[in-house]
Amino acid sequence: MTSAQGTLDQYFLEMRMRCLSLAADLDRIQRQPGGSALIQGDPNLQLLRQAIGLLFDGQADRAQRVLELFSDKTPPPKASP
Amino acid sequence: MKLIDPHIHCVSRTTDDYQFMARCGVVGVSEPAFWAGFDRSSADSFSDYFRQLMEFEPQRAARYGIDHYCWLCINAKEAENVTLSRQVIALIPPLLKHPRVLGIGEIGLNKNTRNEITVFEEQVDLAARHDQLILIHTPHLVDKHKGTSIIVNILKNDRRIKPERVLIDHCEEHTLRLAKAAGFWCGLTIYPITKATPQRAVDMLETFGADRTCVNSASDWGESGPHMLVDTLLEFRRRGHTEEEATQVFYNNPCRFFGQNPKWKLKAAAVDEVRGSQ
Repeated sequence: MTSAQGTLDQYFLEMRMRCLSLAADLDRIQRQPGGSALIQGDPNLQLLRQAIGLLFDGQADRAQRVLELFSDKTPPPKASP
Repeated sequence: MKLIDPHIHCVSRTTDDYQFMARCGVVGVSEPAFWAGFDRSSADSFSDYFRQLMEFEPQRAARYGIDHYCWLCINAKEAENVTLSRQVIALIPPLLKHPRVLGIGEIGLNKNTRNEITVFEEQVDLAARHDQLILIHTPHLVDKHKGTSIIVNILKNDRRIKPERVLIDHCEEHTLRLAKAAGFWCGLTIYPITKATPQRAVDMLETFGADRTCVNSASDWGESGPHMLVDTLLEFRRRGHTEEEATQVFYNNPCRFFGQNPKWKLKAAAVDEVRGSQ
């Protein structure tokens, strides 16, 4: 069984890369006209901000909870009469 | 469209990679001397390695229409052994006239130690005394910013060094301005886990400008590959940049830097030549 430290060591550089990629993605949006306002107000980016908050809340099942955050929660269509 | 991979370690790559590069339009490569993944036991190992770089790899590349050039040095990692480094440095001067040798590289720092700095300074001196182009390796990850600062300061304090004859490689967002502001050429290495992704590289080209900047794969024995150069070209075009602009970055810029050495035979493409191929 791999230790927690061993798992972190194995994946840290990939985690760092994904963090850098996200930072660069946001920079790219911000450089465009209207980018700053979009980053503040866009509903998808607001969800992303919530998702990032989940990552370090100390609770398990982060991947499942992030996916649920990004899921359609509207009720299913009503059955045909 | 013609491409150049200005930094690739072909000794670590399969013949399939040469075929792949040829299919993608790569017509020229430059291969710096580097760490083989293990520390070599004697200067004789480097003598054989230099022969592989100067003779065997150019022949292997030529079978696929790729013009192969190389650089000689002791790399930053093995430079920790100063005695071995000086033995290796002594091998280099007679080889500098070889038609495939473009200059001294990739020299630089790894962990920013005193020994590495000593050997780096001695190799800068070697390049200056023999009027050679210099290709610089900057450290990885946490050591990169500090190491790049040390390197830039050493080079700026040596009045014999002309910045336009030095390329500082593996630049990222936090070091690119440092190198460019001092007048050096810069390299962006598309090596996603530890260096740049295609997306970030194109961001840097757009943000800092493409002048005096070369894009390379630095493909070696790690998780890397010649496709990274092509993926970056595709990302560049996907954002609406023209083939003419792409040619400036992925072909002309390497030709301009390497072409300062008359041994480099590929010529930068004229604008109307690029337009004619569209």
